[in-house]
Amino acid sequence: MSGDRHRGRRQLPFPGPAATAGAVRRRPLSRAGRRRLAGVAMTTPALAMITLFFLVPLVMMLWMSLHNWPLLGEHRFTGLKNYRDALHDTEFRTAVIFTVKYTLITTPVLFVLGLALALLVRRRHRGARFFQFLYFVPVVVGLASAAFLWLFMFQSDIGPAGDLADHLGLGSRTTNLFAGSASAMLVVIGMVTWKVVGLQMLLLLTGLQSIPTDVEEAARIDGASRLQTFRYVILPLLRPTLALVLVFSVAGSLLAFDQFYVMTGGGPSNSTITAVYEIYRTSFIKFQLGYGSALSALLMIVLVAVSAVQLLLLRSSDQ
Amino acid sequence: MRTRRARAAGVLLTSVALFAAACGGSGSDTSGSDSGTITLWARDSQKAFINIVADTWNKDHDTKVKVTVVPQANFVQKFGTAAAGGSGPDVASIDLVYLPYFASTGVLDDITDLANDLPYKDDLSAAHRRLATYNDRTYALPFTAEASVLFYNKDLFRKAGLDPDKPPANYAEIISAAKKIRALGNGTYGYAIAGQCGGCQVFEFTPHIWASGGDVLSADGKKALFDTAEVTDALTFYRTLYTDGTMPAQSRTDTGTNQPAAFLSGKLGMTPLGAFFVQVLKQNDKIDFGVAPLPGKNGGSASFSGGDEIAVTKNAKNKEQAQEFVRWATGEQAQTVLAENSIVPVRTDLIDKIYTPLDPRNKVLADAMKEGRTPYSTVENALFNDSNGPWVRMINRAVFDGDIAQAQEEGQKAAQSIIDDAP
Amino acid sequence: MSARTARTRDRGRGPVEKDSTNLVAAIRQSLPRAAWWAVCTSLAVLFLYPLYVMVSQSLKAPGEAATAPPTLYPHELSLDNYRALGGDTGIDIVASAGNSLLVSLGATLATVVLSTLAGYGFARLRFPGSNILFFATLATFMIPFQAVITPLYLLLNNLGLQDSRLGLAAVYTTFQLPFGLFLMRNSFAAVPRSLEEAALIDGCGILKAMVRVVLPVAAPGVITTALLTFFACWNEFFAALILVTDQEKFTLPVSLSVLASGNLGSVDWGVLQAGVAVTIVPCVVIYLLLQKYYVGGLLSGPVK
Repeated sequence: MSGDRHRGRRQLPFPGPAATAGAVRRRPLSRAGRRRLAGVAMTTPALAMITLFFLVPLVMMLWMSLHNWPLLGEHRFTGLKNYRDALHDTEFRTAVIFTVKYTLITTPVLFVLGLALALLVRRRHRGARFFQFLYFVPVVVGLASAAFLWLFMFQSDIGPAGDLADHLGLGSRTTNLFAGSASAMLVVIGMVTWKVVGLQMLLLLTGLQSIPTDVEEAARIDGASRLQTFRYVILPLLRPTLALVLVFSVAGSLLAFDQFYVMTGGGPSNSTITAVYEIYRTSFIKFQLGYGSALSALLMIVLVAVSAVQLLLLRSSDQ
Repeated sequence: MRTRRARAAGVLLTSVALFAAACGGSGSDTSGSDSGTITLWARDSQKAFINIVADTWNKDHDTKVKVTVVPQANFVQKFGTAAAGGSGPDVASIDLVYLPYFASTGVLDDITDLANDLPYKDDLSAAHRRLATYNDRTYALPFTAEASVLFYNKDLFRKAGLDPDKPPANYAEIISAAKKIRALGNGTYGYAIAGQCGGCQVFEFTPHIWASGGDVLSADGKKALFDTAEVTDALTFYRTLYTDGTMPAQSRTDTGTNQPAAFLSGKLGMTPLGAFFVQVLKQNDKIDFGVAPLPGKNGGSASFSGGDEIAVTKNAKNKEQAQEFVRWATGEQAQTVLAENSIVPVRTDLIDKIYTPLDPRNKVLADAMKEGRTPYSTVENALFNDSNGPWVRMINRAVFDGDIAQAQEEGQKAAQSIIDDAP
Repeated sequence: MSARTARTRDRGRGPVEKDSTNLVAAIRQSLPRAAWWAVCTSLAVLFLYPLYVMVSQSLKAPGEAATAPPTLYPHELSLDNYRALGGDTGIDIVASAGNSLLVSLGATLATVVLSTLAGYGFARLRFPGSNILFFATLATFMIPFQAVITPLYLLLNNLGLQDSRLGLAAVYTTFQLPFGLFLMRNSFAAVPRSLEEAALIDGCGILKAMVRVVLPVAAPGVITTALLTFFACWNEFFAALILVTDQEKFTLPVSLSVLASGNLGSVDWGVLQAGVAVTIVPCVVIYLLLQKYYVGGLLSGPVK
């Protein structure tokens, strides 16, 4: 913040130091106090809302995770038993492994395609803006709606995408892509890419455009090649944006649920069940709310850790 | 600073109070309805007739029934969460397989006396009565019946040189008929299943095991029987249909939506489905179809007794009227409305009067209902109906991946652990 | 970092943008215009294809919508699939759209007001612990709300807000707040301090200074917050499915899932795509109308 403040002060339209000297001397204290109070007052409604509808349920969730807590009927305290069980739960382990696999594939795909698109449409003429606009359209589509749409597109026999592939000689319209775990996951990744890559493109574009042009110019004048400029000048300056994009993308993938719930139903043979899906099943199919809460708590810890590590790695090397 | 601390303390206190209230479950009761209405929850698969039933009641009663249709896939979860929060309906029409679970958790009203006072109590579907009983008390009355049978396309049978009036009566005959129908070409398939649908697989696959003399659970429901020889035979039967190429590839991932559509397209020879499908086929009026019992390995037959039971909830506001409605729902007037909408009635004493005469094929369904069976377990949902549960996974892996022995072994282990972990 | 943002902003507001950087210029030279257009256009086709499928499928006559292989375009335009949404399927899509609108607008209004206030507080009116509180709020990003849905249900029940559109709007507001806060705080942080200080010296109160002077400059952030919140609420599926039971109060995505479960076992894909279209088209239209603000807002500082 210091840079900002400094810059701001420089531009203060004070008439002159002499004229306001008295006021300045007295104001800082009282004004600072009032500002603090105002800060508390203005942030309280939002914080109260988050406390009531998020932190309270969160604490309840942690409390429930220490119990054998069926949806209906008596619950009893079992301490850390749920957490111990979770470590030996093969179904949960399978779900976690699948989620990690999905994240490891999706993240680079989205990132590379997003960056490629950003570089492609990084131009300041009407055509580029038009394509930016077009590529972003799917972002406003809901995940559930998009999943229903792609589910239809890739249905065997009646799906237009399979039919198109057939016409182009790329595949057969009778192939049931959802019957193989790899192909089912590919269709889901296709859907997610379609829906999300526009956002990544836009975020990266923003990052690119916030890089001062003189920096780039200087590098070029110093004789850096385009690739070198990108690698040594643009990429490091893009780091904050990269951190943001990566955190969003990784967290989104680790929390995947809707797309698999709608498109694969976890199949074939439970091969596309994600961690959140397994938690949903535990809580709402098996009605083991206590155990489901324990799994939620574990997922939460992992997510916070992964995001924190990402931010740290990308920030510290920035300095 | 003082303000901030006070505020923080206030927020904290409020949270603690709320937390305590939420955990105590003693919150204000906003459930049910005023005395003028009875709230009724039903599954969306019932929406074709449930409003007609409600309208029939509303015509001659002062207390009105208000129907809420809940998505079938989320019914148990929604009803469970609502009941846990004390905000459920007065009356619920519940898939009978879930009755033991809901009865065991105490969210349903004990209506043993009401049930015993019915003059036709012994004429109600036996499977329904068994499922509504928990610890010798009755928690629901039978409402609608469903029976699983084999649908076959008579035109395709004729074209394939099969006798349309002599449906296959054992595994071998189905396999051979399926091959002949597949041989007609032009995208025709012999037999389709919904391989990723728990409700379908328990409804359509277990009868083969029962008809062969086996079972899927022990009589007391405490032991899973997924690794028995009868299950192996039935899985091998499906596996053969698949490896012969007579089962379409969609069957693996079908969540229950492709199977009826495929039969309706006229390109599917046989498929196991329920009575509800008769109505669909008749409306469509393009397929010359036959209905046959689901056979065992060497003949015999069995059916899954499905459908709904109707229960008064513990938190019902208007218990008296709710009980009256539940009683009325098993009466001749309501059951006739159901029969007219192609729903199998639950009254064996009425079935030949109000249902069988409507269509010659109804006879097969009526017989199947009378002899139908249903697995009894408080964890039925997790074992069978969960589309990611051990039953579906075992079938899916055995039929489409082929390792039957291993699929059974793992299925048995997973199922037994679900039963053992039940509260 | 803020310095950089501020500088970039100032530059962006400058009269002439010197955007012909060497890199861009080089790419422009090495990639002929035609090739660029060809690549971009093919990609555009890819991006729009699913939406074309949705529209064309929903406009087919019911018989044609079910044929295999599918027709490439509707041979006979028909609104039957849309008519079926009116009630043939037992689902009143018009009512669902009304519910979605009500819940989404309510949550959007609440989110914008709350996150503007708090965003300003966190950006400009620091108080002891404000940074910690802000980052604690951000941390809630990482926690899936699916994890707390069951306690949330019990809580709403105790507040008498279960099975209600108000309760759903409150939950949506809560889950959109962290992101709104993040956007608004950064929006305010990007506004030159001089503006506000000048207003304060002119005798404006803190709130007045915020509303009169700083908010207009941070308006793109407000619009972005509003649009993102609206879209998120309009499209949300999981919480709506669990927290609302009465079919009359269902939002669009939940009604879609009822539609997709099929009336009697089979899905009517034509009707489903009509339902998907009804859900998607308003979002696309809003985006079309407000994309300048939306993208402009997203580009104008919140993302550093």
